Amino acid sequence: MDNMFYQYLDYAIYSSAVLVILIGLYGALVKRSLLKIVIGLSIMEAGVNLLFVAVGYLKNGTAPIFSAKGIEMAENGIKMVDPVPQALVLTAIVIGFGVTAVALSLVIRLWRHHHTLYIDEIKNLKW
Amino acid sequence: MVGTPVLFIAIPLLAAFLIPLFGMVWKESVRIIPGLVLAYLLVLAINLLSYVTVNGPIVEIIAGWAPPIGINLVFNAFSGFLVTLMIFMGLLVWLYSYRFKSNVEYEPARKYFLLLMMLITGSVGIVLTGDIFNMFVFIEIVGISGYALTAFYTGRDSAEASFKYLIMGSIASVFLLLAIMIIYSQLGTLNMADVASKMHLMDPKYKIISFILFVVALGIEAEIFPLNGWAPDAYAEAPGPVGAAFSGIVVKAAVYALIRYTYTIFDLSGAYNILIIIGLITLVVAEVSAIRQEKLKRMLAFSSIGQMGLVLVAFGIGTTEGVFAALFIMLNHAIIKPMLFFSGSYLVYHSKKKNISDVDGMGKLAPFTSIIFTLGAFAIVGLPPFAGFWGKLSFLVAAANSNMVLIIALILMVSVVEIVYYMRVVNRIFFFKRSTGLLARRPTFNAYIVMSVLAAIILIIGFYPDSVSLYLQNAANSLVDKSQYIHSVLTATIQ
Amino acid sequence: MKKILVILLLAVVGFYIAGTFFDIGFGNSHFVKNDAIKPVKDTYLQQTVQELKVSNTVTSIVVNFRGFDTLGEVTVLFLSVTALGSILYKKRHHVGERSVLFSASSIVTSGSKLLFPAIVLLGTYVFIHGHLSPGGGFQGGVIIATGFLLMLLAYENYSVSHTSLAIVESLAGVTFAGVGLLGYMNGGTFLQNFLPAGTLNDLFSGGVIPIIYIAVGFKVAAELTGVIYTVLNEKGENHG
Repeated sequence: MDNMFYQYLDYAIYSSAVLVILIGLYGALVKRSLLKIVIGLSIMEAGVNLLFVAVGYLKNGTAPIFSAKGIEMAENGIKMVDPVPQALVLTAIVIGFGVTAVALSLVIRLWRHHHTLYIDEIKNLKW
Repeated sequence: MVGTPVLFIAIPLLAAFLIPLFGMVWKESVRIIPGLVLAYLLVLAINLLSYVTVNGPIVEIIAGWAPPIGINLVFNAFSGFLVTLMIFMGLLVWLYSYRFKSNVEYEPARKYFLLLMMLITGSVGIVLTGDIFNMFVFIEIVGISGYALTAFYTGRDSAEASFKYLIMGSIASVFLLLAIMIIYSQLGTLNMADVASKMHLMDPKYKIISFILFVVALGIEAEIFPLNGWAPDAYAEAPGPVGAAFSGIVVKAAVYALIRYTYTIFDLSGAYNILIIIGLITLVVAEVSAIRQEKLKRMLAFSSIGQMGLVLVAFGIGTTEGVFAALFIMLNHAIIKPMLFFSGSYLVYHSKKKNISDVDGMGKLAPFTSIIFTLGAFAIVGLPPFAGFWGKLSFLVAAANSNMVLIIALILMVSVVEIVYYMRVVNRIFFFKRSTGLLARRPTFNAYIVMSVLAAIILIIGFYPDSVSLYLQNAANSLVDKSQYIHSVLTATIQ
Repeated sequence: MKKILVILLLAVVGFYIAGTFFDIGFGNSHFVKNDAIKPVKDTYLQQTVQELKVSNTVTSIVVNFRGFDTLGEVTVLFLSVTALGSILYKKRHHVGERSVLFSASSIVTSGSKLLFPAIVLLGTYVFIHGHLSPGGGFQGGVIIATGFLLMLLAYENYSVSHTSLAIVESLAGVTFAGVGLLGYMNGGTFLQNFLPAGTLNDLFSGGVIPIIYIAVGFKVAAELTGVIYTVLNEKGENHG
């Protein structure tokens, strides 16, 4: 019973993270409104971070913090989850935030100039 | 030694944080500080490069933990040569844009010089680092500076070009993170030398998928076909010196990353053929598109992309001579293309549309700029005795030694195409009558100095190619020698 | 037509990537089974207790083992604030004119006055105790910025001085880079820990790690507040 549960969990978590990435990518490539493109990029980055953290999980593992309880659990043989993906994702989330902020400022500037958010009407350059 | 490689990153970062504070006290400092920083870094780079030529690679450990636990920087003949080239071109771009927008309030100027300095620092970081995730962070630094610099002018289509660049850059980061994830989950380490030494233990299907993801991600930055949709618009809409910085500095860093992954980290033997195919497609498509362009800067941008395709083919040949040829072409391109951008933007300064037809008859009105542009055009198509000739010659020798006759034929055909569209512009400059009433713009004093320096270097390399071939040969040897790289990093200790 | 092509492309990409990750497996140790593979995480978990005496492993990785990445990340934030300022630059400055569509109700205005100090206190707690419990500079800085956002949305004339934000940001960045260079000049390498490590689970443990994280907390709070403030000050042309 335990094995089957983890097998389904396996597929569910990874496939939902990949689905989020694909939804974001679809939004960024297909949508015609600037704001929806930026939202698509943001969703895509969220999906990648989710996938990365999920890769680092260990079954029945605990958080990698050596508080009093943590030291006790480590001595009892309970493993700690991989801390490296968490640290990398911390960096990636902040970088994604920075890029989203720059993207939104570009949307504001395009709106100022053209007063519309649809790239069909803005298309001065070849898309 | 005057310092160590970490100062290439630490000093500009310190200066970047200090510039807003100094800018509140003395307004001229925001222009001067980046120049001082770049000048000091150039001295440091030349010093370290001469040290490395004699003594072997420098591996610098950060935060006191030896690799593979910590991060390290690698300054060997190959990366050192590229770093010196990039900082030298960065200093020239700074000098050229010194009097940039001096008649407007100081707000835009402060941000421009800061962003330019960080663009150069990020590219230097990509080349120096020895860790996969660290390279991702530096690619993002270069990316954000690039988006902001492309959208610098208001009132043109710059925001749209920057937005396109941003979308493709974000997709590139996502793919890069996916590739890093796959490598980490199998090998448990993020250090380049460590990954290289353990790569043979990885399952081939994971290797292939992560290599494809890396090529797509880095290819968007390195402007290979069909991922370079953003590039011509970004070059055309960005300010002239920024276009020069992109083609001379950023693209070199991205191509370095691609080559480092192909030669050192992955041990796929089919990877070299993939490089050749990608390079050939990029070269042919770019050169054919360049003929059809009407705007001068877009034509130069497509020519840049084509040259990078040529470089990739040269790297794909795989022998030491191929690498030597590729590095020579990279060196030439890094010097000649900015000179073309600089003189080109002065030739079409006053026109609104920046079309090629606007340079008709400029030969009489602006003789200096026209001669510089013509010199650049001759050099880049490979006419002797200018620098470009030696690069193309060594490439043809390398290809002939590997019996790749089809490639030689294609390269010669493409060179003819290049000659056509460059000579067309030169013809219009000197032999057509003035059709529009546009005035010529006299370059500023700084721009004179910069263009003359670049022209002098082209002539020096053209007449004495041996002046640079020692460094190029060392760089080529150090790239091909994978085990020396791994050994020097993994046995590094804190001195 | 384009939509169908994109969906097909995404399906292919998704299939390969999902397949790869299903192969890698979830929840078990997926490193290659070979004696040569020594995952770095084991060394990190071990050294963070022995050498650094810091209980939160993620903090010790972010600030000490891979501190160079954090320096790059702080730079990315700084650059995005600069980019925001340069892209949205207007020649005529309308400082203080905000584009709010309607003013907030009285529940929000009175409640935010009560909540703001509590939020700032929570954020400060999170980044000071970054090395002992989950949290740290980035998390604490974001919490503080949320407090400022609440105040900016509730009150129309609440303003934060741009100059003081810029000064805090720059000083915090200089502290980070300066601590790194101090480690360098103390005979070691860049960003090396040169203060005594103390004992585990103490507030003053970990050497320079709390100092760096506090600087990062201030920097992130100042930058995020600056970003929100810049965007909020966009004057719309057709509504007053």
